[in-house]
Amino acid sequence: MRLTEPVLTKRIPGCVPGISDGGTAARATVSFEQYKATGGYASLAKALDMEPAKVIEFVKEAVVRGRGGAGFPAGLKWSFLPQDDGAGHRYLCINCDEAEPGTFKDRLLCDFDPHLILEGIAIACHACKLDTAYFFIRGEYHHQAKVMEKAIQEAYAGGIFGKGGLMRRPGALSVDCFLHRSAGAYICGEETGLLEAIEGKRGWPRVKPPFPAVKGLFGRPTIINNVETLAAVVPIVEKGVAWWKGIGVESSLGGMPSYGTKLMGVSGHVNRPGVFEAPLGVKLSTLVNDYCGGMRKGKRFKGAIAGGVSMGVLGTDQFDAAMDFDIGRACNVLGLGTACPTIFDEDTDMVMVARNIARFFKNESCGQCTPCREGSGWIYKLLCRIEQGSATTADLDLLLELGMSMGLTPGTTICGLADGNNWAIRTIVGKFRGEFEKRVKPKFVPVHVSAH
Amino acid sequence: MSWKTKPSSTMQIPRRAEPYVSPAVAERWEREIVAKYHVRQGALMPILHEIQHEHRCIPYQAMVEVARFLGISPAEVLDCATFYEEFSLEPRGRCTIGICQSIACEACDHKPLLDHCRRTLGIEPGETTSDGAFTLLAMECLGSCDTAPVALFNETLHEKLDVPTVDRLIAQARQVPAGSHHH
Ligand SMILES: Cc1cc2nc3c(=O)[nH]c(=O)nc-3n(C[C@H](O)[C@H](O)[C@H](O)COP(=O)(O)O)c2cc1C
Ligand code: SF4
Ligand code: FES
Repeated sequence: MRLTEPVLTKRIPGCVPGISDGGTAARATVSFEQYKATGGYASLAKALDMEPAKVIEFVKEAVVRGRGGAGFPAGLKWSFLPQDDGAGHRYLCINCDEAEPGTFKDRLLCDFDPHLILEGIAIACHACKLDTAYFFIRGEYHHQAKVMEKAIQEAYAGGIFGKGGLMRRPGALSVDCFLHRSAGAYICGEETGLLEAIEGKRGWPRVKPPFPAVKGLFGRPTIINNVETLAAVVPIVEKGVAWWKGIGVESSLGGMPSYGTKLMGVSGHVNRPGVFEAPLGVKLSTLVNDYCGGMRKGKRFKGAIAGGVSMGVLGTDQFDAAMDFDIGRACNVLGLGTACPTIFDEDTDMVMVARNIARFFKNESCGQCTPCREGSGWIYKLLCRIEQGSATTADLDLLLELGMSMGLTPGTTICGLADGNNWAIRTIVGKFRGEFEKRVKPKFVPVHVSAH
Repeated sequence: MSWKTKPSSTMQIPRRAEPYVSPAVAERWEREIVAKYHVRQGALMPILHEIQHEHRCIPYQAMVEVARFLGISPAEVLDCATFYEEFSLEPRGRCTIGICQSIACEACDHKPLLDHCRRTLGIEPGETTSDGAFTLLAMECLGSCDTAPVALFNETLHEKLDVPTVDRLIAQARQVPAGSHHH
């Protein structure tokens, strides 16, 4: 399964091997003029000719599942907004926090085709009748923040945003778009942590309900979408629902389908790591062997992070896993996540992988919920002990027990960060148990036998 | 994430005569930053970014002045300033080296880079050299895993790093004289 033409990466060479030349073609940021000259902002014009509710219907029909990690259908999310109550602002927050380790796909769009994102933003604002968009970008993306700021200015000057904007259509909504830089906190990728950060507070996720669609930024109705989700809306409006549904796969497990193309950033022990555009459902082995030129130094595949460390790992026997939204149930991981796999070769120490991921979650827990704050610290300590060879089998059991007791699924935390921690640790220990057992000493339990 | 609190409620904060939020600064912030947010406090992060960039830390006096400017309490400013890793209450070095320690970078050998910085600069991650030239940080995923191992030198990302390159970058940063600004 291959794309016959790039979709989201239409203007970015090298993302679909065999079509546009990988690696050699030069990439450069597409300016507003170049974007328009290559058919850009035509989808916005088309959307503006449609009633807002019709656009939502359209996106609903296409089943555009969120590209930020959870796979929630965008059209459905948009339809949760209350009808325009005329009482104040309504917001769009674009999630470009991209701090999930192993993930670097949104950066590609910011770097090279920022107007594709801005066109998606404008369409979403029209569809959902939102008047202010905040482009929330992680602090470490210094260069990307500059590129996006420049593109936003171009879009104001070009009649997309601002007074008399949205292509200067009579009757069209005037939309403002502002850049908001975060400052180094993974938790602000969680949608309500993100809202707190824009409000100028520490990024503590909020208890839901109320959901942001009803009471979001500054207490007003708010939609939060990932960068790639909004970008995907642009070609769908241009080419139609049937075309979009022709790419990707139906669910083989009776669940929601996985339509469309997806940006997949592959890192780790492969010959040509990078971001590729592929149809959902592509096999991990195809990505590695075909797109990335195989495993580095001819080594064997050992395992992979499914799509950001929160999703857990795929085992050695899951090299052929289909990269679609069924992957969670099909392969016993949390989900597709960001669809950015990190590949490990046969020499990788999986205890190191677990310890590295555990440290990440310990560092990034926002500290609001005790099971997450304390549990993440303990999990890290136990894994350090196992790595150093000073742990016992009882520690391994404690590790799994701790893992299982924290998260939204056991119902002990406010947000999903703890579930990510939980799944990462449980899947690594579960799928590579032998490696962990080799590193721990048996614990002898004294048994008292009395002789009569 | 960590919590820092003001050491005590009676702590004397360092003060200087010249205000951080001068009338000219206040006027510009009003126009360029506050105007983008429908609630004034929304302007806090962009303002803290500006202060951090300018002073390489968030001085206590500046927090008090910003609080007054935004009509919020100094505690709310402290709350925000201490939550985000990019903001620092202690002055950071003229060159902040942030080595990525997340999984793709560790799998692709980030350790020699970190060890080399430790040895060359004589500091541990989180520390600043006594001459104020360098701060070393071990950071989480910088979103450039395909070119691992990577590091930020101030605002510039360096990809596919090796020890000789790190060495060269450190030497270059040493050329930047004290008191000057390097991005
Ligand atoms: C701890 C945590 C971190 C997250 N980080 C991100 C992120 O960096 N980028 C992102 O788009 N979504 C992230 N999400 C998911 C968001 O909460 C939200 O579901 C998403 O932005 C919605 O957009 P989508 O429906 O278009 O995918 C994170 C979730 C959690 C629980
Ligand atoms: S689960 Fe963890 S990160 Fe999420 S709100 Fe609770 S303490 Fe914070
Ligand atoms: S793990 Fe280092 S950049 Fe992502």
